[in-house]
Amino acid sequence: MNDGVMQAATATQSAAREPVLRISNGSKIYGGVHAIEGVNFDLYPGEVHALVGENGAGKSTLCKAIAGAINLTSGDYLLDGKPANFEQPRDALDAGICMVYQETSLVPTMTAAQNIELGNEKLLTRFRTLNIQAQQLLQSLNFHVDPATPVALLGTAKKQMVEIARAIYNKARIIIFDEPTASLTPEEIVHFFHLVRDLRARGVSIIYISHALEESLQIADRITVLRDGKLVITAPAKQLSRDALVQHMVGREVAQAVYGGKAKTHQRREKVLTVENVTMGMAVKNMSFSVYAGEVVGIAGLIGSGRTEIAKIIYGALKRNLVNGGTIRLRGKPIRYRVPRQAINDGIAYITEDRKANGFFETMVVDDNVYIGSLATRKGWSFLLSRAKRSKLANYWVDRLKISALQRKARIIELSGGNQQKVVLAKTLVQEPSIIFFDEPTRGVDVGTIPHIHGEIRRLADEGKAVVVISSYLPEILAVSDRILVARTGRIVAEFDAADATQDKILYAAVH
Amino acid sequence: MSVQSPSRGVAVPAASSRSGSMFAKPSQEQIVLLITIALLVVFGLTLNGFATVSNLLNLLRSISILGVLGLGMGLIVISRGIDLSEVAIMAGSWAIALIYMQNGMPVFTAVLLALAIAVLIGVVNGVMVAFVEAPALFVTLAAGFVIYGLAFWIAPAWVVYAPKDAPGLMYLGAGRLFGVPVPILVFAACAIAMHLFLSRTSIGRFIYAQGDNPEAARLTGIPLRPLIVLEHVLVALLAWIAGLVWVGTTGSMQMAITQGTMIFDVVLVVVIGGISLIGGRGSVFSVVVGCILIGTLLNAFTIMDVNSEVQNIIKGVVLLAAIVLDNWLHPRDEETARQGD
Repeated sequence: MNDGVMQAATATQSAAREPVLRISNGSKIYGGVHAIEGVNFDLYPGEVHALVGENGAGKSTLCKAIAGAINLTSGDYLLDGKPANFEQPRDALDAGICMVYQETSLVPTMTAAQNIELGNEKLLTRFRTLNIQAQQLLQSLNFHVDPATPVALLGTAKKQMVEIARAIYNKARIIIFDEPTASLTPEEIVHFFHLVRDLRARGVSIIYISHALEESLQIADRITVLRDGKLVITAPAKQLSRDALVQHMVGREVAQAVYGGKAKTHQRREKVLTVENVTMGMAVKNMSFSVYAGEVVGIAGLIGSGRTEIAKIIYGALKRNLVNGGTIRLRGKPIRYRVPRQAINDGIAYITEDRKANGFFETMVVDDNVYIGSLATRKGWSFLLSRAKRSKLANYWVDRLKISALQRKARIIELSGGNQQKVVLAKTLVQEPSIIFFDEPTRGVDVGTIPHIHGEIRRLADEGKAVVVISSYLPEILAVSDRILVARTGRIVAEFDAADATQDKILYAAVH
Repeated sequence: MSVQSPSRGVAVPAASSRSGSMFAKPSQEQIVLLITIALLVVFGLTLNGFATVSNLLNLLRSISILGVLGLGMGLIVISRGIDLSEVAIMAGSWAIALIYMQNGMPVFTAVLLALAIAVLIGVVNGVMVAFVEAPALFVTLAAGFVIYGLAFWIAPAWVVYAPKDAPGLMYLGAGRLFGVPVPILVFAACAIAMHLFLSRTSIGRFIYAQGDNPEAARLTGIPLRPLIVLEHVLVALLAWIAGLVWVGTTGSMQMAITQGTMIFDVVLVVVIGGISLIGGRGSVFSVVVGCILIGTLLNAFTIMDVNSEVQNIIKGVVLLAAIVLDNWLHPRDEETARQGD
């Protein structure tokens, strides 16, 4: 099924055939701004076509247009050579185009079989028939999922299988995967790649969006790079390399490798934070570690390993168990915060992993976002607002973090991901913390901005602050950390010095 | 652009920031203001006795109680909350105070008693919402019934009259200062105070932040729980002031209003002027504009002798139109809200 000879054959065959999908000169305008502009995109039967680009490059817009969620402002959309005109996603689905989200579109309380049939229910359904049909489908795909299990009880990888099975059930000819591997373990990723190759062998065309460039290079037949809504290049994957992709994405030679350079060896100073046997439900179990002033500690681990939760517990945003919840000491003094405000007043900061959900105030401009961070502290509070203080703080942080000055008058929601992240940083750092937790500091941040943020992390440590960086992305952890902790199933399972940590060692600890 | 102005920053974000767009959306305040001016001109030209000084003053006076209540409701809607017990707080606290007044309590003491009752209810509401974490909609809806029941128990009359020998109490409702009816001045004073509070103080800024994104506000270190209690207390305080004007105007307090559609009118003037139900948007200006629009309509209806059923239909339609407008101006759909991906 999935041997290399067959793949090569399919790939070469596809070049000769007619494209199943073609977008020519496609543009989409949102409020006067081109989200995509003059994009020519085609997809052949049995092809895996990867889409890469920074956040905001237009990948999602293009895929939404293909999946019928939005309509192109101008340009042609041809399906099997005929113009396609989708009023709604359902029409695209009926035409065999299916978008697979990570796990969001499943109904958790329904069984796998019910989810597979979702949207195609007959008036009366026998569970037995339903389960048998689903079982046959799942077996034909080599998925080991029990059709009678509620989806909520399935793991991430199995949820994804149910999603894919549903796509096949809907007779999908084109499947769009949006960041399919983001929450999978390395083994699951390998299995997923087999799946993709199986689908390709069945003649299904696949559009593959991923942040991990290596994955795109490995799995795709062709790769298309988008930048600022425009198509930069479409080329066979074999002719591209990681460096070439980054260069196309950024649009210039990247002077130093983004994730290059090891941090210098740390000089340990005072031990500021001690976490002893902290436990919270099933998410965090007996977690223990210490943080020193002047160093950057990286916490690696998969999603669900308890790494975000421990930061939120220390910060007072989550509550650990009252009984046997363990001890957290700040400079030797035991602490248990009920609300983040207490942590902030003690000099602890947490920079959220999801800035859109809870990072900034979207109705306020940059200056106000920064100023309100200061107002929310005991030291920075004053009853009356001060224009002078607001400008002073905002000017300092806009300058220090190189926030695009042109955008200061704009609402923050209109800023680029990198500038938004910098505003969230400024809003937190203006509170003058001495211990700072960064959760996924560069998620959704344009490649060009990442070095700024890493530089700021290093600068904070050099200023004598204790910095903890939580990240799923190992090159990032390796680039910024003095010391690396690995979390798995709610525990810290390994500790490495920056000098002798490698991706393989960390991955091994995070998974086994 | 003025100093710390969430009101400004929110009211005219479109013009300043979307320079690249084909057309900038006007703010809801601007649209409603234009409609109001158009209506004033039309009614002024077509209705006999509309465009007279005494009628316009009458118009303003008729909306001042609604306006004061609307300022309180506006504050709490900006914070993404709601308080449906506001009218009940006004009626209940004053009915009890008036009964005690009739039984010989000094006027000043009774006024303070009304204030104490109002603030107490505000604290209870706030604690239920902030600390018990019950939804504000249901807490305040239930509170309205409890207040109504309690007040009726203590003061068992649909209409409780103020004693005849309290001219000071009547001044706020019936008096005039420099020829302007005092209720209008009370409304104006409350509006200015509220505007300064919302736009020039850090607590005002926190209220906008809470309405914009409560979770971000919590993670930023804003003390949300005390803030919520304070908001409910301020609503109760404004209900008390509105009651003071009401008693002055009518010489009585009618418990029947707690069972009527008045709370609906209060929400109407808030939403219509551009204080979005999703929180964080709008300002005192929204309440004032909303009040004037509703006042203009009601005044014209009275002159035209439109019956109350038709008035209710029109009010309902106007509220729906305001909510549709709100959705158009503040789309929650990610496609348009995020300008791409």
